[in-house]
Amino acid sequence: MQATSLSDDLKRSILRHMLIARGVDEEARQLQKQGALDLWLSCQGQEAAQVGSVLAVGPEATIFPSYREHAAALTRGVPADELIAQWAGRTFCGWDPWDRRFFPYTLVLAAQTLHGVGYSMGRRMQKLDDFVVVYVGDGATSEGDMSEAMNLAAVESASVLFICQNNGWAISKPTGEQMLTTVAERARGFGIESSLIPGDDPELVHRECVRAADHVRNRRAPYLIEMQVGRIHGHSTSDAQELYRGEEDILRTAAADPVAAYTGRLTELNVVDAEWLRGVESEVRDLREQLMKRYAS
Amino acid sequence: MSSRRPTPLAETINATLADLLERNPEVLLVGEDIGRLGGVFRVTRGLQERFGRERVRDSLLAESTIVGHAVGLAMSGLVPVCEIQFDGFSYPAVNQLVTQAGRIVNRWNGDIRLSLVVRIPSGGGIRGVEHHSESNEALFARVPGISVVYPSTGEDADQILRHAVGMGSPVVICEPIRLYWRRSLPGRLDEPAASPTSARIVRRGADVTVATFGAITNDVLAAAEALSPSVEIEVVDLRWLAPLDMTTVLESVTRTGRLLVVHEATKDVGIGAEVAAAVSESGFDALKCAIRRLAPERRDYPPADFERDYQISVDQITEEVLGMVK
Repeated sequence: MQATSLSDDLKRSILRHMLIARGVDEEARQLQKQGALDLWLSCQGQEAAQVGSVLAVGPEATIFPSYREHAAALTRGVPADELIAQWAGRTFCGWDPWDRRFFPYTLVLAAQTLHGVGYSMGRRMQKLDDFVVVYVGDGATSEGDMSEAMNLAAVESASVLFICQNNGWAISKPTGEQMLTTVAERARGFGIESSLIPGDDPELVHRECVRAADHVRNRRAPYLIEMQVGRIHGHSTSDAQELYRGEEDILRTAAADPVAAYTGRLTELNVVDAEWLRGVESEVRDLREQLMKRYAS
Repeated sequence: MSSRRPTPLAETINATLADLLERNPEVLLVGEDIGRLGGVFRVTRGLQERFGRERVRDSLLAESTIVGHAVGLAMSGLVPVCEIQFDGFSYPAVNQLVTQAGRIVNRWNGDIRLSLVVRIPSGGGIRGVEHHSESNEALFARVPGISVVYPSTGEDADQILRHAVGMGSPVVICEPIRLYWRRSLPGRLDEPAASPTSARIVRRGADVTVATFGAITNDVLAAAEALSPSVEIEVVDLRWLAPLDMTTVLESVTRTGRLLVVHEATKDVGIGAEVAAAVSESGFDALKCAIRRLAPERRDYPPADFERDYQISVDQITEEVLGMVK
């Protein structure tokens, strides 16, 4: 597949989803501070990786997320209030997983990787679309299930695209202390083709995921993409990352914010203008107001 | 009383699995060495030749993989019947069973069927090496989303397997290894269970109710035979350990006024404690003496040379019963 450039419509769609995800995430953080949510695992810094990948794999792919894939969920059409419901203690999953082909969050690390591989195998046996996307974080790759899932996907040649968002931290343990190779290298050890890309540029992510999805669909074999992303906030609202993470690193990550960067880029290229941005801002404001009414009362 | 059918348990399970594969295209078998080898106990012998490698699948030697990917298979609409090679090797699969399989229907707000059966050859008495003689049914029985059943005859295993594949939620079936190929067994009452999920009264008696399950049920029946007619024991084969059919137990205790629970797993925090507590709560007035439990003390299953000391014997059962009626 040629690395074609993305249409302006697609670029605007990507930015819109990123801005909405940022707004919802920010509102959820506020709601948690007010006591309306019990916990929130911010995805700020990972919007480019999530929005770019979800749009690239298309609506037919069945997605097995971990628990920080809020931007991915919203882009897939999970309504914001349904996304937040489980963090307000109202349910274990607020949306319809079948309807969105976006399965419930799995909080036990990497458990969903084996489900994703099995689901793909089962779909293939029934001669149904077997393309599955599994999201996992760098911390979860230390779990045995991740290695078992990669090995099973390899030997079964399952149609699974593993997307590992490496945000540099397993809660408080930096990647350098978690692994001596990249996750992408590890995948190749299992016989899975892989690539390692920066995850802050949604267009690059989109192109790579289109290519990887084609690989999985055409060869009916797994693929793994490791995306290097920044984690702007703590692991969750329950940890103060200042306790274990250098100030410089925190500031650098915030300064490299992919949402701000992409907004600036599309503005500079005249793909979006102030009026378009005001439109999205107003959409985000309405959404946040709805969430506040629904959850803060 | 009818004498047991001569077909051994393993052969009955094999025939039931074959019939399920034949009738239901969604059913598939997954487990270590179940295909080419026919399973370490030969329970699945001949099934791969008959149904193919796709439906009788030799899995990787990884228990978390077996159950974890079976969860995905079940989500896709298939009905995987997994085999864990031995009870002692089920622990690597416990996370997938407990935090995933057992919770997924609830996590999905009931909007998914997860028909997933995990067969676990269980228990000792076979001179097994370490980890090959364990009884971990009580561990799984603690998990709200998992049903646990321990059939002790081929007829029960057949009924239970057919029921389990259609439940839409995960079922752990413990199968007594030492009965797989045994052909001669004590006679049982030929009275059907009230339902596929209920306990079964396998001997009638007016003096003492003994609630039990698994291979040791035959030892309880042997003890009952030895004591008859001076003491008549009513033997309840619990079959389902989660959820327990306490109705059948309580009705029996109401008739006899005495309850002994016998099982092969260690006594502490075991199934016997649950049965005893439930009868104390709901059947106390019917009791003529204290409820008793007979099960091994809290310790590891020993090396094979010592398993006779560990296992509850027929003599211990008769002695315990006599202590209750004196």
